[in-house]
Amino acid sequence: MTSSALETGGLVAKGAPFPRSAVGVALLLPALVFLIVFLVLPSLILLGYSALTQSQAGDISLPLTFASYERLIFSAAYRRVVILTLRVAFLTSLFTALLAYPAAMVIAYGKPVFSRITMILVVAPLVVSVIVRTYGWQLLLGNSATGGLNWLLHALGAGPTPVRVMYSEWAVVIASVHVFLPLMVLPLSASLGRINPSLNEAARMLGAPAWRAFLRVTLPLSMPGLVAGLTIVFSLTAGSYVTPQMVGGTRGLMLGVLLEQQINTAFDWPMAAAIAAVMVTIALVANVGVGWLSERHAAARLRRSGAR
Amino acid sequence: MAARLSGGGGFVIYLAAAAVLVFVLAPLVVVVALSFSTANLAIFPPVGFTTAWYEDVIANEDFRNAFMVSVALALASTLASFAIGVPAAYALNRWDVPGARVVEAVLLSPFILPVLIIGLALLQFMAMMRMRDAATNLFIGHVLVTLPYLVRTVTASLKQVDRSLEEAALTLGAPPWRVFTKVTVPQIVPGIAAGCLFSFMVSFDEFPISFWLANAETMPLPIFLQNSMTKIFDPSIAAMASLMILTGILAVIGLEKLVGLRRAMSI
Repeated sequence: MTSSALETGGLVAKGAPFPRSAVGVALLLPALVFLIVFLVLPSLILLGYSALTQSQAGDISLPLTFASYERLIFSAAYRRVVILTLRVAFLTSLFTALLAYPAAMVIAYGKPVFSRITMILVVAPLVVSVIVRTYGWQLLLGNSATGGLNWLLHALGAGPTPVRVMYSEWAVVIASVHVFLPLMVLPLSASLGRINPSLNEAARMLGAPAWRAFLRVTLPLSMPGLVAGLTIVFSLTAGSYVTPQMVGGTRGLMLGVLLEQQINTAFDWPMAAAIAAVMVTIALVANVGVGWLSERHAAARLRRSGAR
Repeated sequence: MAARLSGGGGFVIYLAAAAVLVFVLAPLVVVVALSFSTANLAIFPPVGFTTAWYEDVIANEDFRNAFMVSVALALASTLASFAIGVPAAYALNRWDVPGARVVEAVLLSPFILPVLIIGLALLQFMAMMRMRDAATNLFIGHVLVTLPYLVRTVTASLKQVDRSLEEAALTLGAPPWRVFTKVTVPQIVPGIAAGCLFSFMVSFDEFPISFWLANAETMPLPIFLQNSMTKIFDPSIAAMASLMILTGILAVIGLEKLVGLRRAMSI
């Protein structure tokens, strides 16, 4: 990209006398200024708040302190929320991946009509508000006999209220898997679709049973899509608010809900800002860290294959 | 590509995928089913059939207001994201801009940052700047979350454009703006349309930012829905939710008609 760009001094194409890259900068400027003013600057100010002191009267000012972070890490109650958030995010990405594989395989390899139906049904919930979808889970998981699941199990012959999932960590995991499933299926099916079919055929022809061909050929080759899906699901779950707020209760209290409580109930802005900083760190580590690791992995593989 | 799911293994995968689809549809079907129930509470099992809850909801002026706020907000933020996002994506993909990778990371960062925190940071910033107009604040917040969708879809469309056509036009002496309008734009229109539709739905369904910035006068539909949930327990909530599902279904049909879902989503 850069070499031809240098020749034209602007638009990336060959052989034209061209205005300098100032045009490119001018095209970028509105979006960039907007984001710097309304995203970068406010985020930095919020981050700054996390290290300030709040007086009894509610004024927030110097001196600088890490008291909020210390409380977040060393107080058992807060630490439990951090750990629960990470655990819910981990479990959600794990179960999302398990559910996503069959759907993604039908989309990538199924008969055209099934592939298309699966694609539409998987994507459709993506354009339905999280509020609505989680409301559906409230109705389904209700702990009383009038909750959907309890009613169904009772009708099938189980006891009066066989399951009590609502307002727990598991309710958050179930609803989050539902909310984020499309974001796992999409990269996974794209990744599966790019695998050369003859590799799988070769494995089968050499006598590998279908499950073995899947484990040794399809699964490793679908890794890029899987990693992308796991990353996005993990970081979005860890940063979510609506789902834990609606179905989590006190037993499924996550960082997002804790942050909202700090603002609206405890009026503790420095603490809320510290929680925000931790949530942003989790998201950045998940996204940037995984990107860096997979680049290194790819580079290492390239070196190995080059050495041979 | 030829169908490759066959035999016993293929059958198992079809069966598993069908189970996954039941899981995907269950909460939505339940909401729609209960919205027609004649019972006074949204509980199982639904009984009878009535459209009375829909009549209630549509007669409710607050609901209609919230609906209009959401539509206006979604239109305005999509339009603004279009206006600043398309040139930005074009610049990043066709012009030699210094620090392009950093700029792109900033443009796409609302995808990575927790939206709840973007909203909180904005709330605090607006308070410091004494910006008290909820409609303006909501508009700014929604542009932040819709902009990256436009940038990403346009970028993906630009990558699919046949570059040799642009180069040919340049070599033959067309000025760059002409190359853009006559050669590039016709090839990326479907992608841009899909991006706009997606951005509209993202804004229409948005919760965590509106949650911080809305007030009683300017309240988007998802916030109105959540407020009602804490006060009302009859199936009118399910009816409102069903109307939102209907909007989503219309959007999916639109995407499928515009570019085909598979392409719209690979973007």
